[in-house]
Amino acid sequence: MDIAETVRKLCWIPGVSGFEHKAAELVAEMFKPYCDKAVTDKNGNVLAYKSCGLENAKTVLLDAHLDQIGLIVTEVLENGFLRFAPVGGVDPRMLPGNEVSVLADEPIYGVISCVPPKFLKESEKNKAVPIEELYIDTGLHDAKTRIPIGAPVSFRQNPAKLMGDVYVSKCLDDRAGVASILLAMEKLKDAKNLKCDVAVLVSVQEEVTGLGAQSGVYSIRPDYAIAVDVTHGRTPDGPSEGTFQLGSGAAIGMGPNFSRDLTKKLIRTAKAHDIPYEIEVMEGNTGTNAWTIQIVAWGVACALLSIPERYMHTPIEAVSTSDIEAVSELIYRFLIGFDGEAEK
Amino acid sequence: MTELVKMLCELPGASGCEDEVRNFIRKAIEPFADEIREDAIGNLMVFRKGEKALERPVVVCAHMDEAGLIVKNITDEGMLKFGFTGNVDIRTAIGKPVRFGGTCGIIGIKAVHLTTAEERKTMPKAKELYIDIGAQSKKEAGKKISLGDYGVFDSKAVEFGGGMIKAKALDGRTGCAALIKLLGETPAIDTWFCFTVQEEAGLRGAATMAYALDPGFALVLGGTAAFDLPEVKNGEAVCRAGKGIVIPFMDDSAIYDKELFGLLRMSCDNRGLPWQTNTRVLDKTDAGSILKTREGVRTCALSVPVRYMRSPSCVASVSDIELLPEAARAFLEELGGESE
Repeated sequence: MDIAETVRKLCWIPGVSGFEHKAAELVAEMFKPYCDKAVTDKNGNVLAYKSCGLENAKTVLLDAHLDQIGLIVTEVLENGFLRFAPVGGVDPRMLPGNEVSVLADEPIYGVISCVPPKFLKESEKNKAVPIEELYIDTGLHDAKTRIPIGAPVSFRQNPAKLMGDVYVSKCLDDRAGVASILLAMEKLKDAKNLKCDVAVLVSVQEEVTGLGAQSGVYSIRPDYAIAVDVTHGRTPDGPSEGTFQLGSGAAIGMGPNFSRDLTKKLIRTAKAHDIPYEIEVMEGNTGTNAWTIQIVAWGVACALLSIPERYMHTPIEAVSTSDIEAVSELIYRFLIGFDGEAEK
Repeated sequence: MTELVKMLCELPGASGCEDEVRNFIRKAIEPFADEIREDAIGNLMVFRKGEKALERPVVVCAHMDEAGLIVKNITDEGMLKFGFTGNVDIRTAIGKPVRFGGTCGIIGIKAVHLTTAEERKTMPKAKELYIDIGAQSKKEAGKKISLGDYGVFDSKAVEFGGGMIKAKALDGRTGCAALIKLLGETPAIDTWFCFTVQEEAGLRGAATMAYALDPGFALVLGGTAAFDLPEVKNGEAVCRAGKGIVIPFMDDSAIYDKELFGLLRMSCDNRGLPWQTNTRVLDKTDAGSILKTREGVRTCALSVPVRYMRSPSCVASVSDIELLPEAARAFLEELGGESE
């Protein structure tokens, strides 16, 4: 499986939080070749299963979220202009001039408006334009009949390859995570000595409510869960602490959100197989599905593997494909060596 | 015409590095030219004999350049520090892809999670921005990029909505497309069709072009800022996309020749070409430079209303763009007719 090609396929599918059902169908198809079965549920989650065939085998859940941040139409104005609200954490400063798809019955092209500097008052010049004052310009004369209020909106930036293996795209958060699980399942396809059952949850609404992780994990009832998400890549304008160089491997989470035994097992696996990794210490809420999953039903022993990503929640999210590979390799090596007892 | 505009807009032509645009245009117009000149700073001047000649040459011009980027430094981490050649709205630069020849990059901004509420309300300064090309070090970046390299926004030209087009560089390139179209036919009068450089850098190419040709009349083609957004009161909008070509009476660079302003209006009226004029005074065109050349040149302009000027996502109406060569042709015809 070519990583960049897999990521490209996954990122192309629109799945704004709350509107993931179509994406779920497509993603379920991608998992089918490597699993005993892959289905979608009423919330739009993808649930896939691979059994090891042993009786009383423990279940390890791999989770990555399907949804992406986006916008939602709140009002259709004259001359094809739309007002909108954010879905998930959107930085208003990177919106003006961006191209979007309004996901009505047929996707509709739009550009986010901006006020040219010469039209700004002196006092406004250094201020970001608040989201309430921006419009989507569809250029349509009949927008009112074609676009319903409540239609989701996705970015439509084309992906790009930078130097080395840096890949740029919208919604790599968290399709990069989905890709690393897909790759791990592919590697696992012909594994002979699997001693645990594997379940995959590609979950909805991580960016807003956590519904997908909550409901999906409740259905699956795993013994262990490894959440796969993105973490902040290091940039010149950001902090150097708590951020990771692209290409530095899997970031393994540590803190109260995680099972110490499961985490140690992952670290030992990484060391044994020369898989690059770093430790990401989080003293409280990790802002990932692991936080939700840990306390579903009677509780789940959790771990978190993250892919460093620059410019999170923009249309130009950037990751190194070697980090996706590192996470998938770590998941694969862990699963084939795991007999269901983390503390050993 | 639309296909030509789209092709032209996608070419890189930062002020100071218009070569690819000029080469494309030169190839397109060579079969129709009676004389072609290129000057020391890169202007392309193309003469085509008309059905008759005026006493002094007539110039119709548009600018080839766009507000682009230039690399000023490479950081130890392999990020590019850069300046804008021309006025770019930095609000629209953040988070956008750019390219330097075949090397892609992105203008980054740290993730929203890492910002303070105050930071989210404030625009970063141009000096704080950087371009990420995926290099891990200064040395690695140096393999692909040198100081002084010119770049442009990577923005595809797209037709959308009810006859709209989105592209970068729409301002100058709509004018260039109109000139190329007009060069394909015999003009009513002898005309120099001129493609200028460095308009965005301060109306500089037009100065040497006008000095060299010493025209009797000049007509400047291009785009002008439209602010026809919802809740903008009538006159505040300046002009409106899809409502016809703009015949300006005045802007920040020029007070246009009163008689030529009248002639343009009459030319359009006589042929049923829809026109409007600007309802606010702002923006600059090459006219500001041309009209002060030598003893002064009588100058006028025709402009396409362009939303989101100085952004990588300019928007204009195809119907307005198509009016540009029509109105310019009408002007040349009337100018020829008047001289009789």
